[in-house]
Amino acid sequence: MATTIISSPDAVRFRYDDVDHAYHEQRENRLTGIVLFLVSDVVLFSMFIFAYCYLRSSVPNWPPITQGGHQLPRFDTAFAEFNSIVLFGSGATMHFAMESWKHTNRPAFFRWLIATIILGAGFLGGQAYEYSTVSITWAGSTMGAAFFTLTGMHGFHVLVGVIFLCILGLQAQAGVYTGSKYFGLTAGTLYWHFVDVIWVALFFLFYLW
Amino acid sequence: MTAVFVEKGLALIGAIVVGVTTTVQLRNDWKNNFLDDQVTKLLLGLMAFGCVLVLLAIFGVLGPS
Repeated sequence: MATTIISSPDAVRFRYDDVDHAYHEQRENRLTGIVLFLVSDVVLFSMFIFAYCYLRSSVPNWPPITQGGHQLPRFDTAFAEFNSIVLFGSGATMHFAMESWKHTNRPAFFRWLIATIILGAGFLGGQAYEYSTVSITWAGSTMGAAFFTLTGMHGFHVLVGVIFLCILGLQAQAGVYTGSKYFGLTAGTLYWHFVDVIWVALFFLFYLW
Repeated sequence: MTAVFVEKGLALIGAIVVGVTTTVQLRNDWKNNFLDDQVTKLLLGLMAFGCVLVLLAIFGVLGPS
C-alpha cells in the first residue's frame, strides 16, 4: 500500500520514509474538522451579510440619508483596492510557504511565512487607518453598524490568523513538523486562504456594490 | 501625483502579479485531489476572482461612478 502511494507522481507529500498510516487516518479526521470549522465560519459571515443586504434593500437610497437630510459618503474605494491586494498577496505568499514546505525547502518556507505575516499585519494596519479616517460611526447608522460589524469581525479573524501563523512558524522552527507530518501548516494555510476569500465578498459589498 | 493615483497604481500592479500567480498555482494544483487540495483550489479560484474584482474597480467598471 505504501509503495503504491509513494510511486504516485501526484502524491509529493508521501515520498518520505516515515509514512505512518495511523497518522494519516488521524490527519483526515482533523482535516474534516478544520473544513467543518471553515463551513461554520462561512455560515456566521453569511448571516451578517444577509442582514446587511436586507438593511440595504429596505431603504430607497444607499448610502442612506440621515435625519439631518444629508447622504452619508461612500467608502474610499481606492484605498480598499490597495488594502485588498495586500491581503490577497498574503494568500499567495502563504501558498508559496506551504509549497516550499512540501518540497522540503525550509529557508524558503520561513521567508514566505514571514512575508505572509508582514502582509497580514499590513492589512490590519490599513484597516485601522481606514477606521480612523472614515466619517461614519458604528452607532450612527445602519450602514456604519453593518460596516464595522462585518469588517471588524473579519479583522478579528485576520488578527487570529496572524497569531496562528506566528505560532506555526515557532513550531516549525522547533521541529514540531516533519516532511510528511505537517497538518498544523495545512490548517493554517486553509484558514488564511479562507480569510482572504471572505474579504472578496466584503470588498464587493461595501466598496463596489 | 495624488494619493488615489498611487493607491490605484500599486493595486493595479499587485492585482496583476497576485492574479497571475494565483492562477498559475491553481493550474499547478489542479491534478491534486485530496480534500485539502480541493478546498485550496476553491479558495485560490475565489482569490483570483477577487483580483479580477479589484482590476474591474480600478478601471471603473465596478464601483462608484
